[in-house]
Amino acid sequence: MGKYSGSETWQDVVPIPQDDGGPNPLAAIAYTEDYSEAMSYLRAVMADNEKSERALSLTEDIIVMNPAHYTVWLYRADVFFALEKDPLQELDWLNKISLKYLKNYQIWHHRQLIMTKIPSIPPTELPFLAQMFEKDSKNYHVWSYRQWLVRHFSLWDDELPYLESLLEEDVRNNSAWNHRWFVVFSRYVDPSAGTGADAAAIKADPEIVAREMEYAKAKIRLAPQNQSPWNYLRGVVKKREGGLAVLRAFAEEFADLAREDEVRSSHALDLLADVYAAEKEEEQAGKALELLARKYDPIRKNYWNYRRGLLGLKEVEVE
Amino acid sequence: MSLAAGPGRGGGTGRLPEDLELCIEKHVKYIQSLDTRKDELEYWLTEHLRLNGVYWGLTALHLLGRPDALPHRETIDFVLSCQHNNGGFGAAPGHDAHMLYTVSAVQILVTIDAVEELEKHGKGGKERVGEFIASLQNRDDGSFAGDEWGETDTRFLYGALNALSLLHLTSLIDTTKAVQYVQACSNFDGGYGVSPGAETHSGQIFTCLGALAIAGRLDLVDKDRLGGWLSERQLDNGGLNGRPEKLEDVCYSWWVGSSLAMIDRIHWIDGEKLGNFILQCQDIEMGGLSDRPGDAVDVFHTFFGVAGLSLLGYAGLEKVDPI
Repeated sequence: MGKYSGSETWQDVVPIPQDDGGPNPLAAIAYTEDYSEAMSYLRAVMADNEKSERALSLTEDIIVMNPAHYTVWLYRADVFFALEKDPLQELDWLNKISLKYLKNYQIWHHRQLIMTKIPSIPPTELPFLAQMFEKDSKNYHVWSYRQWLVRHFSLWDDELPYLESLLEEDVRNNSAWNHRWFVVFSRYVDPSAGTGADAAAIKADPEIVAREMEYAKAKIRLAPQNQSPWNYLRGVVKKREGGLAVLRAFAEEFADLAREDEVRSSHALDLLADVYAAEKEEEQAGKALELLARKYDPIRKNYWNYRRGLLGLKEVEVE
Repeated sequence: MSLAAGPGRGGGTGRLPEDLELCIEKHVKYIQSLDTRKDELEYWLTEHLRLNGVYWGLTALHLLGRPDALPHRETIDFVLSCQHNNGGFGAAPGHDAHMLYTVSAVQILVTIDAVEELEKHGKGGKERVGEFIASLQNRDDGSFAGDEWGETDTRFLYGALNALSLLHLTSLIDTTKAVQYVQACSNFDGGYGVSPGAETHSGQIFTCLGALAIAGRLDLVDKDRLGGWLSERQLDNGGLNGRPEKLEDVCYSWWVGSSLAMIDRIHWIDGEKLGNFILQCQDIEMGGLSDRPGDAVDVFHTFFGVAGLSLLGYAGLEKVDPI
């Protein structure tokens, strides 16, 4: 007797067994009986489009066994909305599943659907996300969901202090850097307007630009060979008038061409190559690129040589 | 096609990199064996990916020079058994129609030259499939959803353009709007994310570049900047990662490698080092490739490893199209 076949609640349902469509379907199947039985009842309730409490708890049972089964999630959402269940209770349950299955896509889409039924952000939401980030601070699904959440509830102003704590913990967290960009600069961009590519070129409030430049610089000083804040810094500079030259003195702190054995950051060299080229100091630019190709980033020697080629300089031989 | 991991593990050969070669026959046998594993729970727990798995296995076999290694008629029958009346395909019979599996179904049928089967034995001809895909486009912002519930993702947008171009049906959608949406997903670091504002990710760069390539709009890309970011994904061990400060993984040999190839900059990474890294992820006894040396092999990484080697021009493999 299975969990469902032996249950009074399910007596009226005739389960629909697996048919995998292949030439020899049923015979070879020996997957665990619990999963198999639950699935056969799911097929039956879905065939009837049944929206009931028992259908809801059946989806819960299957999701716990196999959370990536997207069809079960969609059916659950369907039943959930039809029964007008309590969204807060659903979030509670989702929290437990999410902490267990970190790489799952479906959970987050479902959460978003549920959240649209709640008028203001529940006080438990941000602490829960913090818990997720404690497990994996670069979880792409969670960050994407958080961006949606920030926009949906207009949480822009409270994000920076939390981000600050994440970057204090791990200054190399590229996801946190991206989110900082999102809350500082993207909040003024209408995501549906299709202006993303041009958005990078939209100039921002000079005070904010100055603040963000100083922020990135301070973080670079903590770990000069960390690509995220260098990328961020370059992006921020595009938000002001004038070119990269404003970063010259800063980058030279980490890479002095006169002391080529003491370079502390390949990213500084990379930036200086652009700065020198813009200032028509081709020889200096070529030297920076040569150091990258030969000594500080030889795995990408073809890239650095391509950049030398753009300046009309010959390739550096790297053994 | 089982998506279960194992049985073997990649790496641990104890051989020097220069002695490594691609064990083509082992990998062919490995992929062929994946359909005989129906007695494993994992076979059924991964049913929601089945059609993707067939595509990965089939394409790997084609690249390995063994296009006939899977039974032709049975493959067609399985694909068609996943189709719904609305024209879309689910991952397996009984699973809802979804963009990702519809794209896999089209790719499989085109690969084995069986698109006309849609007419003969499917739920309507290719136009019906095209209409399902087109119905998932948001005509306001150009994005695509995966299913009726509306989750959007640049994976779905790329998939739509890919499948429709294979079926010669791109006229069913608003390509200009789709291109605008891809543009909205571009980031300050030169890359692309899953939606506007989302972090740059190598997989998403592949989908966005692929979509732009199909739409004939690679002119919109700052190729030097993006190529710089992509080539920065190579780590000292030769492998590629998907984002800064993350671990290398064989699948990025494809996502990063093909993206670089689409913008003519694959030579910006060290191909020899990448090739050796991929070869070290093989199980040379039982076949298959893993994400990195020491982990269990699976069909997903087997496909992406073989495709990566093909991009690099590895001898004995069919040449793959990066888009």
